[in-house]
Amino acid sequence: MGLLTNLKDSISKVTDRLFADSEPKRIGIYGPPNAGKTTLANRIAIDWAGDTVGPESHIPHETRRARRKENVTIERNSQTVTIDVVDTPGVTTKVDYKEFLDHDMDKEDAVRRSREATEGVAEAMHWLREDVDGVIYVLDATQDPFTQVNTMLIGIIESRDLPVLIFANKTDLEDANIQQVANAFPQHETVPLSALEGNNMDEVYDKIAEYFG
Amino acid sequence: MPHQCTNCGRAFPDGSKEMLSGCPDCGGNKFQFHPGSIDDLNASSDPDPAPNTTPQPDPTDSRQSGSGESSPPESPETTTDSTQTTASDSNTQAANAVTEDTPQAANAVTEDSAQAANAVKEDSTQAANAIKEDSTQADNDVKEDSAQASARSDVVSPGELEAAKATPPEGPPSNSAVDDGDADRPDIEELRNELNEQFESIKILNPGQYEINLMELYDRDEYIISLREDGRYVIEVPDAWGVTDRE
Repeated sequence: MGLLTNLKDSISKVTDRLFADSEPKRIGIYGPPNAGKTTLANRIAIDWAGDTVGPESHIPHETRRARRKENVTIERNSQTVTIDVVDTPGVTTKVDYKEFLDHDMDKEDAVRRSREATEGVAEAMHWLREDVDGVIYVLDATQDPFTQVNTMLIGIIESRDLPVLIFANKTDLEDANIQQVANAFPQHETVPLSALEGNNMDEVYDKIAEYFG
Repeated sequence: MPHQCTNCGRAFPDGSKEMLSGCPDCGGNKFQFHPGSIDDLNASSDPDPAPNTTPQPDPTDSRQSGSGESSPPESPETTTDSTQTTASDSNTQAANAVTEDTPQAANAVTEDSAQAANAVKEDSTQAANAIKEDSTQADNDVKEDSAQASARSDVVSPGELEAAKATPPEGPPSNSAVDDGDADRPDIEELRNELNEQFESIKILNPGQYEINLMELYDRDEYIISLREDGRYVIEVPDAWGVTDRE
């Protein structure tokens, strides 16, 4: 019996390792437009893979296609966790080309950006349904977190039982209100950070390793 | 049916006029609606969030709640604890809620279903409802609520009137008013229904202007790949033979 048990244990260890190594978890970075998702994705990718994921911009809906950075290996406390980082387009319920006209964009470009942004939302929702194993939900801590989009997305993520971390981004800005973000989603852990300035990234990586490792 | 300041967490009894001119504590003007009683709210809300600028719950706990396992069972425990240790101002509020308005407590039972559905709506709507509730309470003991009253005044045909009278108590929101255990979070079913009633997954208002139904997008099997200006769009349909693009 002892022999059989040992054999069974070693087989399960090998299979566990095989699956663990071959399937890094896909972590989707979600959130409303302009929350700093791409800035965070780039920060993670630069820190651990020496590369960026996509262009950042202060104009909303800069990311209109999901972009993936594969095999990002994060080392924490002598352990390593390998993930695929998926930077998704900002999710919203309304897209209007007029909001882009303020950013020195002509109407034709603004209309095209608007259409692509809407396609981006569809893609983000598709990824959420099909392709992610965990979610980093990024919020701009200077903005009101009590929105229909945030409530709905967090609800969907919870209904899928996905591990989720709430990141209260832009803490470098004076009017950032971390507590308000934490109050909005008390059932989840909120991590404050500034992806732009690289503030509190140690805790960010600790939590990523803890939640998605 | 209390309200809570989303900024500092202060709770207000239902129909309170205090909140209409902003939170007396922090000046916040955004309030969260809670279908439960004010006692629940005072107990379940974080009694004193200020010292803890970065919330650091036990990582193992939050990990569990992240996997959807244990947040509801935890609430009752924190309820009793925090009731005992609640800051004095919260206690006075709770006392106010009880002593000030017994009719209000009774009213909480007969609170209309539309009111419950409002839990997910914007604070401006809540503020407006608070005024309506208040006036309704002051005016009469009639069972009908403000939403019904306004519907009644708008309806012309007697047939429609009957229909309007019949439907609200049976609608899904009344269920949520009864069984909404975790009052902190709006019911996802309500959101889903509300949005599904509005439109299909993507509505093109004008070129470059879109309204998006997130739940519909999430629920559908097809994946919308690209939109065309003429209102057509390309979808990817998963089927038994793999992935096919259709227009």
